[in-house]
Amino acid sequence: MSFFHYFVRRALLVIPILLGITVVAFIIANAIPADPINANLPPNALNDKDTIAAFRKKWGLDKPLHEQYLTYLGNLLQGDMGTSIKTRKPVAEDISSRLPATIELATLGLIYGTVLGVSMGLISAVWKNSLADYAARVIALIGISFPVFLIALIFLNVFYAQLGIAAGPGRLHPIMRSPPTVTGMFTIDALLNGDWKTFGNALSHLILPALTLALYISAIISRITRSSLLEVLNQDYMRTARAKGLHERTVIGFHGMRNSMIPIVTVIGLSYGNLLVGSILIERIFAYPGIGFYMFRASTSQDFPAIMGVSLLFAFIYVGVNFVVDILYFFLDPRIRIA
Amino acid sequence: MSSISSISSSIPVSASRSRRQVALYHLRRNPLVTLGLIAVALWILIAFSAPLIAPFPPLEQDLAKRLQAPNAYFFAGSDELGRDIFSRVLWGSRITIPAGLAVIIMGSSLGILIGAVAGYAGGLVDEFLMRLTELFMAFPFIILAMAVTAALGPDIRNAVLALSAVWWPRYARILRGLVLEVKSQEYVEAAHSAGASGSYILFRTILPNCIAPAVILATLDIGTAILSFAALSFIGLGPEPSSPEWGRMVSIGIHFFDQWWMWLFPGLAIASLVMAFNFIGDGLRDILDPRLRGE
Repeated sequence: MSFFHYFVRRALLVIPILLGITVVAFIIANAIPADPINANLPPNALNDKDTIAAFRKKWGLDKPLHEQYLTYLGNLLQGDMGTSIKTRKPVAEDISSRLPATIELATLGLIYGTVLGVSMGLISAVWKNSLADYAARVIALIGISFPVFLIALIFLNVFYAQLGIAAGPGRLHPIMRSPPTVTGMFTIDALLNGDWKTFGNALSHLILPALTLALYISAIISRITRSSLLEVLNQDYMRTARAKGLHERTVIGFHGMRNSMIPIVTVIGLSYGNLLVGSILIERIFAYPGIGFYMFRASTSQDFPAIMGVSLLFAFIYVGVNFVVDILYFFLDPRIRIA
Repeated sequence: MSSISSISSSIPVSASRSRRQVALYHLRRNPLVTLGLIAVALWILIAFSAPLIAPFPPLEQDLAKRLQAPNAYFFAGSDELGRDIFSRVLWGSRITIPAGLAVIIMGSSLGILIGAVAGYAGGLVDEFLMRLTELFMAFPFIILAMAVTAALGPDIRNAVLALSAVWWPRYARILRGLVLEVKSQEYVEAAHSAGASGSYILFRTILPNCIAPAVILATLDIGTAILSFAALSFIGLGPEPSSPEWGRMVSIGIHFFDQWWMWLFPGLAIASLVMAFNFIGDGLRDILDPRLRGE
């Protein structure tokens, strides 16, 4: 199968899932609340007949349910996710202004988490039952068992408040000005502007929250890496590779890792969901103004349109990431190319 | 003749005994399972006896003694309203443990039902239910639970309902596969020819033979359920603010960052309970999956 064929086939499978997600989101938004008007409009607007009538008309609330869905989908395709009760701005606008901050954090968290998780799993599997194996497994167990918000609080307390070796909450030091907006990601914008000082400061503010996220997702990654690699290490071709005199590093690094890559890449894709959830839980603690903090505020103030907007966005991102993982299979699994 | 019958009758007994012995052997070699069991038992005991052993009622305020660091009077300090953190943490177990178990029981039951019906009915029903399962798996499930809780209105009951409503897909998948396997067994055919009804065959003949893997998955899942519940209540989609629920206490504790006891102790309560369940779940998996045993 050519790459093009594979890509198109996979892409076509994503469309019904995305549509399905909008159906689920529509049901949650319109069918579950006792009164969608109550849930979606600020309390003071509930006395205003014009506002209510406008809201009804826009979302087609006087029409049958399937037409309501089509109206909902139509609005969504135009980037309209309703208006936030708390910020009084369109949810889509709120989201797009906060998304770059979260992308920056999540990307760094994913990189740290993957490096940490894969190397811990690798060490665990190669030196099975050694002290390093036990240490890696205990770290993984903490990552799985400790609530991520507790880890965030402990990190912030120890490394920032007590030891003073990490940057505090926020995206930049309070007296620094944010770089001119190009991508909205402070590190990249600062670099584009040639401003190394701002770049360094923005990066230092990312390290602690990104490490927290990394610990959270690396637990699962290291467990899968360990068990997947352990399985591969027992295979005959590993013995063959050793028998023909290959260096142990080549045996593990090339033959071993390559063949255990599929479950590892799969779990990295799946743990992206945890990364998104984690951002909601820790951005609040690090006062990091991204989508996660926005979602946290929306939840505590019952800002329903904002909650639905972020949920929908996160579901789309999650599907997108797992689509990328699907595409990666093409390169990792030769059976797909031959079939 | 007698020797043959004695041999044949002794085989299953010795086989089951040796299997139990193997399990016990691995349990003994894995002290973490024992530790987990003791910790869970302790927390359950605390949950039952909190009204008797907690030094203060969980909501009792003493504004004169607010924000005190841990001391002989308040073992784990006091919060912004002078409530005893130690007592609140003990009482919190009465919310978190039942909530976590309820999510697992309701979520897995739903999944078992959906998977069993899909596998047994086959055809269009199967197709529809499995596409539905895939759709639910396309969401990061906690996010979906957040949206559902927000739609239902935030409180403990709705958080548990929402989590249960998103918990089922993995169970449905596993059960469907198992039912498909068992469905073709001869004893199912025998039940058919004896005139048993479809629901009798599914619930009395097939399901009892597929339930074990779902129970194992459920044990592995309890820790995640507790963490998810804590996460929902941390972001305000659970119990009301005065509740001694652990996630909620941490959430309020953020406003008092320097009063570390306000967030640390409830947080550690969650961690210790989840870790205990994970010890048990991991041990169980190691015993049942020999490939992963650390030999």
